Amino acid sequence: MFSHEMKEKIKQFAKEQAPYYLEEAEMTYMEKLRRKTGEAKSKVIAKLAKFKSRSETAMEAQNDMILYMSDYMKDLMEQGLSEQEAFERAKEELKFRSETTKSADLQERIFAYYNNFDPADYEAIGLFYGAFVFLGLSIGALIGFIGSGGWEMFLSDGWIRTLIGAVVGVLIGVGMGLLSHAVIVLKRKK
Amino acid sequence: MDNLSEMLKGILEGIVLEIISRGEIYGYEITKKLHALGFQGIAEATVYALLLRLEKNKLVHITKKPSDMGPPRKFYTLNERGFEELAAFWAKWDFLSERIHLLRTNGGEKNV
Repeated sequence: MFSHEMKEKIKQFAKEQAPYYLEEAEMTYMEKLRRKTGEAKSKVIAKLAKFKSRSETAMEAQNDMILYMSDYMKDLMEQGLSEQEAFERAKEELKFRSETTKSADLQERIFAYYNNFDPADYEAIGLFYGAFVFLGLSIGALIGFIGSGGWEMFLSDGWIRTLIGAVVGVLIGVGMGLLSHAVIVLKRKK
Repeated sequence: MDNLSEMLKGILEGIVLEIISRGEIYGYEITKKLHALGFQGIAEATVYALLLRLEKNKLVHITKKPSDMGPPRKFYTLNERGFEELAAFWAKWDFLSERIHLLRTNGGEKNV
């Protein structure tokens, strides 16, 4: 029915597209299983991985698509389309367009993010940054001021040491802020 | 009828289960049946994806037969779980259609 070249094209298309459909079907199945068992997705995936032979399933899905596409193309050719036209149409119709797998995954991540989102954490992080920067600035400037020799020296060249002290203090403050941010993020992760 | 795809999304699985329940059938034959029933707007890819899901959810029994394209062709029949799912689908459909009918005729009041 089809030329050798066309058979190869169909095979290639099925090889590219079938895994997406298979992934979607597996995700839907896992979603059902997860709702049923109440287990986390990662646990369900791990369980499934033990039982299935991935390559065999993928090959079957690919073969199913080859046959499905061929049947569709034959139908189109009976309606008057050329082999190439039928292939182009079938390719367009059977190209994977997910409304579920990828977007559902993204939605799940967004949902998880907002589910764990606590405005108090962000307020605390901001306050830590502010507090450490002010503390660093004050302590650094003070050490610089005293270290330079006090008020009299400040008016000549001592202000440079005060300035350096203030800048180093700000940098230490930002560093401390980053550390407290990291501690809060790690605590939330647990 | 045009623009049915959104409404069909939730019930297509039930429709396909009913088609399979009538006897052994292969993938594209189901699409042709749907078209013959007037569901022209259903994308070809939808049925392929749905069949993968039915298989994954273990609702169908599969028999493989040789095909002229090389790989064996899968023929689907419903298994016990498939029939249970189909019965559940019709129960939901009856409930829904009764309520919709009530809404349309009496505005949702049972005893008018």
